[in-house]
Amino acid sequence: MSAPRRTKFYLDRRNKKYQGVCAGIADYTGFDVTLVRVATVVLTIAGGFPWTLVAYWLTSWLAQDKPREIADDTPEETRFWQGVRASPGRTVRDVRSRFRDLDRRLADIETHVTSGNMSLANEIEKLR
Amino acid sequence: MEFDDITGLVAVLAIFLGLPWVVFHYITKWKTAATLTTQDEDLLDDLHDLARRLDDRVVTIERIMDAENPAWRATSLSDAPETHRLTREPRIQETRR
Repeated sequence: MSAPRRTKFYLDRRNKKYQGVCAGIADYTGFDVTLVRVATVVLTIAGGFPWTLVAYWLTSWLAQDKPREIADDTPEETRFWQGVRASPGRTVRDVRSRFRDLDRRLADIETHVTSGNMSLANEIEKLR
Repeated sequence: MEFDDITGLVAVLAIFLGLPWVVFHYITKWKTAATLTTQDEDLLDDLHDLARRLDDRVVTIERIMDAENPAWRATSLSDAPETHRLTREPRIQETRR
């Protein structure tokens, strides 16, 4: 309980309509919050009558509000952590591919810079 | 009468053995699934942040090089391994001499 986890379910009381459960589900999974709310209402009407409400109240009672420390700064970060929660392995592979891409681009730059120096050296060599 | 007994038996077995079995099967599966520890999460957060910052820097350098010489990508991308070899080999020869 020391450090807040980013892969835990939290209520999202900042974007709440009633208790923030639907907003929390939307924040956790990355689905649109309206879609989650409509799905909840449809599910309730379509026969889940007492149980969706029980689940809702239980969740709002048991889950904590999202701690301020791990509030995502940018939408990009929000999407990143939604990806981590959906599939940690794929996210790790994504990060690795980003580093590979950086490596490739840096190699291009290095090649250009070093070959530039070589051509400069050749020019000086010719002038002698 | 016979059939009713069998149906009842099957129902009782399904509810009191089958259902918990399925539930616990998925619970154990869910527990053993690859999950991140807090350290993993911090590490991933760091790496993601680092990748983003490195990306920014490389983009800055690429922009500077584009301003200096817009055709620099052509020289390095056209035959990258070959130019690499060409730039590396003279140096090695020089050190050998």
